Amino acid sequence: MRKKYFSVCRISFIQELAYRSKFVVERLQSVLQVFLIFFLWDSVFSDPSREVFGYDRAKILTYVFGLLIVKAIVASTKASDVSGIISSGELTNYLLKPIGFVKYWFFRDISARGIHTAFAVVEAAILFVILKPPFFLQTNLMSVVGFLVLLVMAMIIFFLMLTLVSFIPFWLVEQTWPPIFLFLSISEVLSGAVFPLDVFPEAIQKVLYLSPFPYLIFIPIQVYLGKVVGMELIRSLLTAGFWMVGLMIAVSWVWQRGLVHYRAEGR
Amino acid sequence: MRGMRTLKKYGKIWWIMSRNALSAAIYSKLSFLIFLLGKVVRFSFFVLFLFYLVEGTGNLAGYDINQTIFIFLTFNVIDIVGQFLFREVYRFKPLILSGDFDLILVRPTSSLFRGLMGGADFIDLFTIPILFVVLYFVGMNFHPQVGDVLIYLLLLINGLMITAAFHIFILGLYVRFLELDYVLWLYRDLLNLGKLPVGVYKQPLRDILVYLVPVATMITVPARAMMGLVSFWGVIVSILIGTVGILVSMRFWKYALRYYTSASS
Repeated sequence: MRKKYFSVCRISFIQELAYRSKFVVERLQSVLQVFLIFFLWDSVFSDPSREVFGYDRAKILTYVFGLLIVKAIVASTKASDVSGIISSGELTNYLLKPIGFVKYWFFRDISARGIHTAFAVVEAAILFVILKPPFFLQTNLMSVVGFLVLLVMAMIIFFLMLTLVSFIPFWLVEQTWPPIFLFLSISEVLSGAVFPLDVFPEAIQKVLYLSPFPYLIFIPIQVYLGKVVGMELIRSLLTAGFWMVGLMIAVSWVWQRGLVHYRAEGR
Repeated sequence: MRGMRTLKKYGKIWWIMSRNALSAAIYSKLSFLIFLLGKVVRFSFFVLFLFYLVEGTGNLAGYDINQTIFIFLTFNVIDIVGQFLFREVYRFKPLILSGDFDLILVRPTSSLFRGLMGGADFIDLFTIPILFVVLYFVGMNFHPQVGDVLIYLLLLINGLMITAAFHIFILGLYVRFLELDYVLWLYRDLLNLGKLPVGVYKQPLRDILVYLVPVATMITVPARAMMGLVSFWGVIVSILIGTVGILVSMRFWKYALRYYTSASS
């Protein structure tokens, strides 16, 4: 059974690189966004001894570089294609095959994340050589392990959230891209992908932590930077785990309800 | 006289095409509203971020809160008005690939006009008035002279001319080379760097944003004009860049058209 999903992964990997110019543009967009954020914070911390929002120069620039790699791991997803498949009626082809639909897309996701992460690591290395930022290297084993575990959970959480949004066409057939656009606009900011969330006042941060968004990018990087330790780290892991399990149940439930409504319109 | 008639003719054509684009856009009102909400969310969050950032740090590359937010608002004017007017450029490539561009070439109207302004994006039309209102209130904090305001508006129009020049150049690339659609996204990403004052960036990126993709001329310079920080020669050079940009891009369009082979029709 596992063989078929690994084949999905392999074929998706080849497909990802088939449209090279599209892939290059996506990577370039990530790099240019990093440039914007890097120079912004480089300017704020032009005085190396300065501390703002609890960051020093090394930690904030590590956050920026961490963004390039963490975003590639967490946010490089193919799940947004699901809505078009449901809307056009192509889902019927998938339902006829002996393959779990959500599992299929999860394994497609893994290959997309793998390629984007590999390129992101190379880009980060090149940018590191060019820009020569101070880099904070975490040596605490608990923080490194916590970071890696949260990263895996963030991957799954983002996939599940996007899949949930992509199921909207089961009920509103024409709503393919708009809800995904709205979701991506909100998650991009609230996950800490544009700026660290500690820029906001505490009151706003408390509200944001009630959502799963900070656990996508901001919290994992905070763990790496050693700003979330001890009981707070345990609490973050449990919260992320709660969101992961909750979203799995939600996706399964919505999928079952969606299939009841599915009419294969467009076929 | 002839010029006025031509202007009237293209004005009417633009109005008809934009009305059709609006009909298509509001066919699904929910999609329209969701897109609008997404744009408002993105804009609002970034303004909030800039506010808290500059409040926490004191200044950004020598600019205070009002100045930083004004530069961001000016970026939004150039970006959103540009997208409102030139949305058709994003839909142009399929016309070339399918050969439907032939049907545009045989019409008694400019093919460039059709490719560039063939259908305004009405989602942006809702955000533009709000943007100008916010721009007014933030801009008044600088207590500008009438001259500063007029120069700002002139340089804003100049910025839109440079935007038009880039879009015309990209249309030419589509016709000439077909596969270079990533250039449009590259331009958008470079323009995004204009969200912040160009002084934030180090060399050689700053030179790229000043001389190659003149984001500084389009965004930072007009904003500085409102703050009374631009010299006479700065204004002249900016207008020269805009004028030369338009002339060169139109020349390139004419050159590209000679190579159109209608390969798919």
